[in-house]
Amino acid sequence: MDKPALPERPNWRDEADRLGFTFADMNGAPYWDETSAYRFTLREIEEDIENPSTELHAMCREAVANVISSEEWMERLAIPSEHRDFIATSWKRNDPELYGRLDLAYDGSGPAKLLEYNADTPTSLYESASYQWLWFEEQQKRSVLSADADQFNGIHEALVARFSTICEPGEDVHFAADASNPEEYATVETLAWAAREAGLGAHFCDLAQIGLTEEGQFADEQSRVIGTLFKLYPWEDMLRDEFATHLGPSGTRFIEPPWKALLSNKGLLPLLWDMFPGHPNLLPAFFLEDVRDALAGGSPSPSIAAAFAAARDQLAAGHVTKPIFSREGAGVTIYERGHATAFTRDDSYSHHPMILQALAPMPEFGGFHPVIGAWIVGETCCGIGLREDRARITHNMSRFKPHFIEG
Amino acid sequence: MTRKRSRHVALVLAGTATLALAGCKDDRVEAQAFPDLDSCIAASQENGLWFTEDDCRKNFAAAQKDFVETAPRYASKELCEQEHGAGNCGDDPAAQQSGGGFSFMPLLMGYMMGSMMSRGGGIFSQPMVRSANGSYTTPRGEQSFANNSGKGKVSPQTFQRAPTTLGKPPMTAAQVNQRGGFGASSTARPAAGGSRSMGG
Repeated sequence: MDKPALPERPNWRDEADRLGFTFADMNGAPYWDETSAYRFTLREIEEDIENPSTELHAMCREAVANVISSEEWMERLAIPSEHRDFIATSWKRNDPELYGRLDLAYDGSGPAKLLEYNADTPTSLYESASYQWLWFEEQQKRSVLSADADQFNGIHEALVARFSTICEPGEDVHFAADASNPEEYATVETLAWAAREAGLGAHFCDLAQIGLTEEGQFADEQSRVIGTLFKLYPWEDMLRDEFATHLGPSGTRFIEPPWKALLSNKGLLPLLWDMFPGHPNLLPAFFLEDVRDALAGGSPSPSIAAAFAAARDQLAAGHVTKPIFSREGAGVTIYERGHATAFTRDDSYSHHPMILQALAPMPEFGGFHPVIGAWIVGETCCGIGLREDRARITHNMSRFKPHFIEG
Repeated sequence: MTRKRSRHVALVLAGTATLALAGCKDDRVEAQAFPDLDSCIAASQENGLWFTEDDCRKNFAAAQKDFVETAPRYASKELCEQEHGAGNCGDDPAAQQSGGGFSFMPLLMGYMMGSMMSRGGGIFSQPMVRSANGSYTTPRGEQSFANNSGKGKVSPQTFQRAPTTLGKPPMTAAQVNQRGGFGASSTARPAAGGSRSMGG
C-alpha cells in the first residue's frame, strides 16, 4: 500500500458538474481529490481487507443473534424497551440487510482493525461506487494507470444483485432522505439507480413529508402508501420519533431492517470484543463506565476484569473514547499516555453512554491519515472507498481519495 | 485474471430533491391556475389555448362545488388560520345545510384547470386554498404552488379529488398533523445553525 502522485484528469471538475456530483468541492476545500491515489496489491485487498470484512460482518450477525435474547445488552445499546420486540421480530423473521460500511485502520502490513461499523446509514456511496470507478476507467484509458491495474469496486453490481434477491420483481421501494442535503440525496439516488436496474420501482420521498394514513400505514407526500421504505435516517432516531409507535403496526418493510439498530451503535464494539476477544481485526473495547475507575488505578467492573487486565497496557498506551451514537467523528477523543491528544469540537452526541477502544496505530501517507471504508452489500464485502485527513480523527470534511490495485 | 470492479455503474445524479429519480417522474399534464372566473375568461380569448370560455365556466362551477364538499373543515378559526394563514379562513358556507355543527374553512382562492389527455382529453379542475407558508394548494394539500395564476406542467394527481368533508365532524388540533412524524428526533443535541447530516 502506498500513495503515488498522479496527474489529475484535466476536465474532472466539469465532468463532476455534468454528472450531478455537485459536492466535489465543499466550503472551498477539495472533497474529491485525485492528485494522488492509494495503491494496493491484490493480496492486500483480498487477504487483508475483503475477506476479513466479510468475516467481520458475519461476526456482527452472531452478535445480533446474541443481543436479541439479552435484555441486558438491549439496555446497554440504549434500545428503547417498547421497541425491543419489534427489533427481535425483524431478526427472527430473517429480514435481509442491504448495505453497510466498515471503517478500518490499515497500513499495508498486519491485520486491518475495525474502528466502527456504519451499518445503517452510510454515505459516500456515490463517490465509492461511481465516481472513483469513472476515475479509474478514464485514467486507465489515458495510460495513467496500467492496463493490468484494477479497482476493488463491485459495489454497483452487488447492489443490483442484492435488490433482485431481497425484493420482488417490480416491487415499489420508497427512498427517504433529507431532501435539502445534496450528499444524502446522492446516496439514495445511487441506491435508487441500482434498484431500478434490478427491475424495481424506486421513488424518492422527503423524510419529513412521510405521513400516516387513517389506517395507520405510512404514505409519501402524494399519499401513496409506502410498502417498502429505505430510510437514510438512523434507527436510533426512528425509534425516538413521534411516529415510532406506528413502526410495527404500519406493516411497512424497512431497509435497513430494524435489527440493524443493534449494529449501527458503537456499543457493538465492546460487544464484539466480549464475544471474540483477541480477534486480529478487532481492537480491545469496553463501555467507559466499566473501566473508568480502572483507568484511574481502581478496579474494573467484575464482568470484564479479565479482558481488561489483558488489554491494560495497550489501553494505557493509547485509547479513544466515543459516544455510542455519533456521526462524522463527533465526540471522539484520543488519549495517549493519559493525556487527551486529539479531539473534535463537536460534542453534540457526548451526552450518550461512551465506549472506550484501544487506539489503532493510524498510518500516515504524505501527511494524511487514511481510513478505509469497506462496503458490505448483503453479507459480503464488495469494494472500498478511502477518506483521508490531516487530522487523526476523520470528520465530515475529510477528503475522498480514489484507489487502484496493481501488483 | 478476475476483475474486481463493476462492468458498468450508474454515473448520473439528477440532483437534489427534484423528485427526478429517473423514471419515477409521473406524466405531467398542462395546467393553468386562475384567481377567479374573469381571469380565466380573459385568458381563454387568446389563440391556441386548450380551453375555451365555456371550459372556464364549467370548471369554475365544478371547483366551487368541490371546494364546499372537500376543503378541510376545522373545529376553530384559530386552527384553520394556523393551517392556512391569518385572514384566509371563514365560516363553513354549507354549515346550515349540512347541520353538522359549526365549522371553519379556508377561503376559496381560485382554481386550477388541467388538460387530462390520460383521461380521454377532458378538462378537470380543483379549487385552490392558501397554506400557512403563503403558497397555494388544492384541498388535498400535497402539492403546493407559489401562485394562483400562471401556467405550467403538474402531476395528474393534482386533479385527484380530495375525500369529502361535508357532513363530517370538523378536525381538531390532534387530527391536523398526520405528517412530519419522522425527522424531528435527533440523538445529537441540536447543533447551532445549519442542518445536521443524517448519514455517516
